[in-house]
Amino acid sequence: MNRSLSFELFRYAAILLALALTLIPILWMASMAFKPIGEWSATGADLTWWPKEPTLSNFRFIFGESDSSLIVALDRSAAKPILSSLLSATFGTLIAMIAGTAAAYGLSRFGSGQNLPLALTQLRLFPPMAVMIPVMIMWAFLNLTDTWWGLALVYGIVTLPFAFWLMKTFFDDMPREIEEAGLVEGCSRWRVFTRITLPMMRPPLASAALFVFILNWSDYLIALLLTTREWVTVPVYMASLSSSMTGQLYGAKAALGLIAAVPPVIMGIAIQRHLVRGLTFGALKQ
Amino acid sequence: MSATTVPASGAITAVEAAHNKPSPDSESTRLGFRLTLPAQILVLFIAVFPLLMQLYISLTDWSPLSGIGWWSAWELWNGFANYSDLVSDNRLWGALWRTFVVMIVCVPVEFLLGLALATLFADDFPGKRLFYSILLMPMMVVPAVAGYMFFMLFQSGGPVNDILSTLTGTRIAIAWLSDPTLALVAVMIADIWQWTPLMFLILLAGLVGVPQDQIKAATLLGANAWQRFLTIVLPKMKTIIIIALAIRVIENFKIFDTLYIMTGGGPGVATETISVYIYKVTTQDLIWGYVAAIALAILIVLSFATVFAMKRMAAAREARA
Repeated sequence: MNRSLSFELFRYAAILLALALTLIPILWMASMAFKPIGEWSATGADLTWWPKEPTLSNFRFIFGESDSSLIVALDRSAAKPILSSLLSATFGTLIAMIAGTAAAYGLSRFGSGQNLPLALTQLRLFPPMAVMIPVMIMWAFLNLTDTWWGLALVYGIVTLPFAFWLMKTFFDDMPREIEEAGLVEGCSRWRVFTRITLPMMRPPLASAALFVFILNWSDYLIALLLTTREWVTVPVYMASLSSSMTGQLYGAKAALGLIAAVPPVIMGIAIQRHLVRGLTFGALKQ
Repeated sequence: MSATTVPASGAITAVEAAHNKPSPDSESTRLGFRLTLPAQILVLFIAVFPLLMQLYISLTDWSPLSGIGWWSAWELWNGFANYSDLVSDNRLWGALWRTFVVMIVCVPVEFLLGLALATLFADDFPGKRLFYSILLMPMMVVPAVAGYMFFMLFQSGGPVNDILSTLTGTRIAIAWLSDPTLALVAVMIADIWQWTPLMFLILLAGLVGVPQDQIKAATLLGANAWQRFLTIVLPKMKTIIIIALAIRVIENFKIFDTLYIMTGGGPGVATETISVYIYKVTTQDLIWGYVAAIALAILIVLSFATVFAMKRMAAAREARA
């Protein structure tokens, strides 16, 4: 291959530029999260890339401590929205993983549910905005609006296609000999599934669950439509942060954004190997 | 990151073929049915039933303010009036047009940048793993948070203007998000920032799956890097490129989170895409019968796209199996 020095130089220059463009928005938000109010909206020549006086006051502020420089305290802290995001994303992931894993195994081994691949792919391709009217009506009717469990149910269904496809490709790739051995020894097929297959599939299950969790945690639109006050999630809460005195609460929002952004980035890097498979529905693997 | 299993189309042995067939015994049939039941119920609950409900409401003038339950919406029956309104709704067509413009700019740019980066990452070099991980980060950032990042970057006293000022040597204080054209540009930049990594990820997985022996053979025959790329690498990656483009086209069509946080669809309707438009009509105008008609029309069009994409993906999976 091309191993010339000029190519290597060009490669590193191009990659460094890409890295800079990738990191600037993230670093700017991180820096903003640690800036005191005086540095939030400094303009032009005063613009500081690094906080001059780093402070944790933005983090304290979103968790309910009043800040004298902002005059107002928030009428509620970020704790409940974080809890709401955690609960709805976690239980949504559970629903998707249980239904998705079972269905994937049923289709992969016994050929049941032949309609599911197409139905679930369509579900994944549809813009959520285009099916939300009936969902909003149903949720109001079932008293599920503005609850974390109502949100978790929608998340479970929205991410079911990802859980299903990921697990299906994992099951398809798994060697059958071990299961056959279990059958020969007289285990029922259900026992083979629960006692042999699932324990063997622990690492893929964990990756798929993390993948689905990231998707649930990232939602904004569904929570915006289905939660109003009690159980708003972090992105909805973040968007509502502003005060009549100071307008945009830049630092507070940045602090909250940082809290929301860190978990999925860490999880995503942890499951890098499976991202392609998850995103292409198993059409492509790494 | 190293070993890939793209089209390794080996011969399927007779034993494997036998395993792939659904076993005919009744125990498997029953278990298979039970295992797929939860997913089937969820699909019925969120897809089939709501779609029927959507169809019903779309034929009426019903809104949450009508004072009657949705099941009585037939009292406000208006036939296909919503659908004929839709044809002459200029704001809807404007939103569709802007969605299309965003797509036609963002997807090719993301593709070309992703492909260029993937080419740089095709062979090993020091620091590759670390750079790879960092470059993937934007796609994992919560889109609403990414929207907020770019909202801050594009403030008139923000870093983008600061960098431009430094580069040009003059003070630049553009109000990006309040200018109709620049707001659209800013929104596109945010989308490109967030989703180029996805193209990079998928295209790189495809690129390292191209058989090396063919490239070596071409090199021996005197083909230069560019010729090898055009005649061997690109044709081998055709399916993967189509999948990557299809994913981005479909996702880009839904664009909402980043855009809505950055501009709220404004100034005016300058960045109002189809999802933003439907959101606003849903929550502000509350004419749900009409929204249901728009949504259903979009779903019907997208269904055709789905069937097309499904066939492609199935072909790729079969080629691999």
